[in-house]
Amino acid sequence: MADKIVLDLFRFDQAVDEVPHRDRVEIDFPETSTVLDALEYAKAEVDGSISFRRSCRSAICGSCSMNINGTTGLACKTPLKTVLRDDRSVKLDPMPNFEPMKDLVVHMDPFWDRYSRLKPYLQPADKDSDHERERRVSPEDMKKLVAVANCVMCATCYSLCPVVSVDPSFAGPAAIAYAYRFIEDVRDSKRKERVAQISDDYLWLCAHCYACSYCPKHVEPQDDIIAVKRISIEEGLTNAPGPRHALVVAKTIKQSGMLNENEVIIGTVGRFNFKGIASIMPLGLRMAAKGKVPPLFMKPVDKVSEIRTIYEALEVPVG
Amino acid sequence: MTVMTPEPALLPKRRSKSAETKRYGFFPGCVAKESCTELFNSTLLLADKLGIELIELTAASCCGASVLNDVNRDVARVLNARTYAQAEALGLDDVITICSTCTGHMRAANKELLEDENRMEQANGILGKFGANYKGTVSVRHLLWLLIDDIGLDTLKSMVVNPLNGLKVAPFYGCHIIRPESVNGWESARNPHSLEDVITALGGEAIDYAGKTRCCGFHVQLEKEGIAPNMVGQNMRMAKDRGAEAVLTPCPLCHLALDGYQADSAERWGRTDLPTFHLPQLVALALGVDPAALGLKRHVISPGPILQARELAQMHVA
Repeated sequence: MADKIVLDLFRFDQAVDEVPHRDRVEIDFPETSTVLDALEYAKAEVDGSISFRRSCRSAICGSCSMNINGTTGLACKTPLKTVLRDDRSVKLDPMPNFEPMKDLVVHMDPFWDRYSRLKPYLQPADKDSDHERERRVSPEDMKKLVAVANCVMCATCYSLCPVVSVDPSFAGPAAIAYAYRFIEDVRDSKRKERVAQISDDYLWLCAHCYACSYCPKHVEPQDDIIAVKRISIEEGLTNAPGPRHALVVAKTIKQSGMLNENEVIIGTVGRFNFKGIASIMPLGLRMAAKGKVPPLFMKPVDKVSEIRTIYEALEVPVG
Repeated sequence: MTVMTPEPALLPKRRSKSAETKRYGFFPGCVAKESCTELFNSTLLLADKLGIELIELTAASCCGASVLNDVNRDVARVLNARTYAQAEALGLDDVITICSTCTGHMRAANKELLEDENRMEQANGILGKFGANYKGTVSVRHLLWLLIDDIGLDTLKSMVVNPLNGLKVAPFYGCHIIRPESVNGWESARNPHSLEDVITALGGEAIDYAGKTRCCGFHVQLEKEGIAPNMVGQNMRMAKDRGAEAVLTPCPLCHLALDGYQADSAERWGRTDLPTFHLPQLVALALGVDPAALGLKRHVISPGPILQARELAQMHVA
């Protein structure tokens, strides 16, 4: 059964247009189909110039990621009826955080650049020819890697990342998830180098927003990011604001049960980092002028010794 | 064949014992106990108006604030198990938070404990060293959900004595009250509308804009200069362009970042100057709590001008 559906399309051709415009393309199409099916139909029957990437139509190739009503996802995996608005339209835009090329097609270069910097291939300590048979991995070790193996590099996470949107030097969720995949691979020999490199690519700029939890393949990059941070601390890479922050938060909770705002700010920036302290002064003064000042002495929560017992039982590192 | 995964089903709503007795465990979180005590006070004043009792869990520790996981995978979960054990010992089955980050991380810890008996055993093994035990009966809920599920929007509306007179308010959810959906699941993470519903019930007009489910940058403000102010500016620009006069957030961390950083983001994003209310402040104002008791003078961006323009409160602040 066909239904009237409107595709509210972002149109732009980098080669000829100075500014983008929008087209409303009306089609008769079953709402039980996918967004990609509707686009294919519109291209075949209404306007052959509509441009978008697609290949497998089965959420395996990762080509058709686009912004659907404001959230990036795979067009082939998004049923029309879940996204149709009250006026029976769906708004389709190219992925944010990328430069548009033509209609829904974007320049993917920054994403691939972040990925290729990882040297995303196994770097074992010895030669294949030294082995009589393949290098074996236990099922338990493999378990850590399977979620990332589902990544189809559609860049949905990179497109949704609010840190990338204001600072493209951040590696982005997919690259960190892939870093994790090689760091935790028992066959790889470059663990230290890989951890150091992803730390240099601003691992710790992740804002903990979990926008990457919208991953259409359920890779859950947010968990891998946390794991890589933990590994970087284990590897001793603690002389940067990110790890200092995590460790001083842990320390103040151990002391008083609460996160001590004053201690955490000084401990993260660095007690003798006068330039860093000067850079946060304007905000501090602005807040202080309105009385928003954390207490100088933290009163510990009741039974705070229990918290220390927990820390000791779990051998929690503190700054 | 295309695999269709529907959005995860939302959690079934159940009536808690706390909802029946109107006695709830209360977890205020660090910011409302430290730099922004006005948010703590506003919450207690609102609870009075609502006729509910919030019993502060005075031995509770920090929830882990999304940071503790970076140093150890277990410690935040066990600390939260200790908090839930306190609530159980007081006969309370709801722990109410007033912070998006507390909500998300305490719910995540609870989910891990309830779904994995090894983890529950590990937690209780440690809690046992000081005679505590968590049975698994607690649910963590935000005050926002309590307002809608336990009080009800119609009742809330009927309690309004100082309606917002069409004040245009931009909702700002704060990541951890909606994401990951598998942890929160109270409403759709992509299209939440609980804050809009509350704004409307209070007599305000909710502004729709793309920034409402985005991040304020609070957790990364000290890692590199400029990141958090830019994230704040980007979102507040969208709200301002849609006509917002103020922002409402259920999260003290978003409140701090949005209120504090708009001055820094003006250079790149233009001046926005949107006063940012924490949920209990605006609800309490509409329910008739004396504005002077809500700490509105402690905002970096004064809500005075818009409250006067809408005849909601007389505030003489600079």
